[in-house]
Amino acid sequence: MGDQPLVCVVDDDESVRESLPDLIREFGFQVRAYSSAEDFLASGCTAHAHCLVLDMCMPGMSGLDLQRELARRNEDIPIVFITAHKDAAVRPRFSERGPVQCLLKPFSDTALLKALRGALAS
Amino acid sequence: MKIEPGQVIDALPGLIWTALPEGNVDFFNQRWCEYTGVATGDVGDHGWQRWIHGDDLPGFLERWRKILASRELGGMEARLRRFDGAYRWFLFRVHPSIDASQRLAGWYGIAVDIDDRRREEEVLRASERELRQLFDYVPGMIAVADSKGQHEYANKRCCDYTDRTVEGGRGLGFLEDIHPDERELVRSEWLRCVALEQSMVIEHRLKRFDGVYRWFHVLVEPLIDDRGQIVRWYGLLTDIDDRKQTEAALGTVRSELTHMARVASLGALTASIAHEVNQPLSGIITNAGTCLRMLTSNPANIEGARDTAQRMIRDSHRASDVISRLRALFGKDEVTAELVNLNEAAQDVISLLLSELQRSHVILRREFATDLPPVLGDRIQLQQVILNLLLNASDAMSAVDDRPRKLVIRTERDAENRVRLTVQDAGMGLEQTTAERMFDAFYTTKRDGMGIGLSISRSIIESHRGQLWATANDGPGATFSFSIPALADAKVAANEGTASRSAGAGPRHVLRAS
Repeated sequence: MGDQPLVCVVDDDESVRESLPDLIREFGFQVRAYSSAEDFLASGCTAHAHCLVLDMCMPGMSGLDLQRELARRNEDIPIVFITAHKDAAVRPRFSERGPVQCLLKPFSDTALLKALRGALAS
Repeated sequence: MKIEPGQVIDALPGLIWTALPEGNVDFFNQRWCEYTGVATGDVGDHGWQRWIHGDDLPGFLERWRKILASRELGGMEARLRRFDGAYRWFLFRVHPSIDASQRLAGWYGIAVDIDDRRREEEVLRASERELRQLFDYVPGMIAVADSKGQHEYANKRCCDYTDRTVEGGRGLGFLEDIHPDERELVRSEWLRCVALEQSMVIEHRLKRFDGVYRWFHVLVEPLIDDRGQIVRWYGLLTDIDDRKQTEAALGTVRSELTHMARVASLGALTASIAHEVNQPLSGIITNAGTCLRMLTSNPANIEGARDTAQRMIRDSHRASDVISRLRALFGKDEVTAELVNLNEAAQDVISLLLSELQRSHVILRREFATDLPPVLGDRIQLQQVILNLLLNASDAMSAVDDRPRKLVIRTERDAENRVRLTVQDAGMGLEQTTAERMFDAFYTTKRDGMGIGLSISRSIIESHRGQLWATANDGPGATFSFSIPALADAKVAANEGTASRSAGAGPRHVLRAS
């Protein structure tokens, strides 16, 4: 188990924190879920996470805020953004590492798997 | 004191004469002679007839002949000419004189001056005629009933309208002209008011001569004498049919405007609604994918699959709850009155708005009173007002970047037993000119607004017998509040609000007979 990549889910919606980790575990990854960006930063997992599934819109620190903070700390974690808002203006398309994965809720399990594989490969 | 019979006859306060059995006058007293100006002793045969007024003479003579024939006492009234030619009314009383052998010996007569009384009666009759005329020419319909509530008189305009004679509506006959839908209500209300001696205010339709029913406002008040007894009832009927029709048309326009405002706020909520529905849908799709993978893995993870299926059911209910709330808020138009807890009503609105507020970076704080009494009203309309106030508050803060976009929604009970809901924002605040005009229809400071939200909100609150107002905050932003009567008071308000009865609650109005 220890060899499997660690995926961290950060979302303020409890039902997402319930359902998404089960699915990601079914994909064969390790999972940890956090209810806010602050919790994640405080967890000490930032150094171990291979990939981040990050809700863009959260009270307090938003997904983009966390992305910036991680960049500032030189924590190089690939991110798959998830959002319920169609608003294209706030969707990140590129980061310094290239194209950013962004899934619009609701998304299928295969779309998530594809995004995770893409993020982990980068 | 010794008085001669002759002196008595002249001292009596009347004109006295005597006549023979067949009617010929044989004596006039001194007063008669002084009044008529005839010489004492000038009796003549029927010469006295020339002093009776020509108009009264035929009747007088006929009566006199009947008395003579009956040989019983009798009387009549006639005008008698004075020495100076003036006529005055007199009451003539004649008494037969019967002798010891029961034979008619002659007649005693006395005439008493009743001119002053006759004049007073004449004045009374004239004033009554004038009153009737006044009733007839008053530009309104007047009906009069006796102390027992039986209709006895209607003025000309009343009779012209219904095409009934004054007699036709006597008693309770007037009820036949009242529209069948209101007839029983009017009848019972009228009998109740008569029994309780209370004035009555009622609205009903009344049939016109051509069969058309028109709405009337009817006010009936008792006339009370010095002893506090009801003498009669006066009713004033006012045609309000045009007003009723205007009100109905206004009501239609208002409900259309209300609907438009609701549709407009639905548009503003689209993103929020999509998000609210998307959240559980997204959960369902994730759980379904997980469930399938768990079932098809080797070995199958039945326990995990069961858990994910249960989560799917829960999330489906969540989505369906959102739809129910939406349908409740936007799906109906008729106005109803029910018990509304403003805390719950506000909470439902907030549930729909939460993600919209979050997206606009608004921090919402709820300060709900725990002992809030219910109000009587239309829950959907009240929620529409709350929705409107919250959306306005959020919009007012959209340009604010230098301070938290803080929004407080508060419920409380005020000192006058009214329930108050307050929405306080930290936005751009009110300008004096805006504050005065912002409740006007079609006034707006927003580029994409129609300017009907606040105007409709105010009319909704006023229809709940409440008030809606705005104040500037001490710091930045504005506060909008409305208050409506709590239930104990709301019950009374609801009764007064219905079209027809207010006799029980209002002060007793009476007319005083002088």
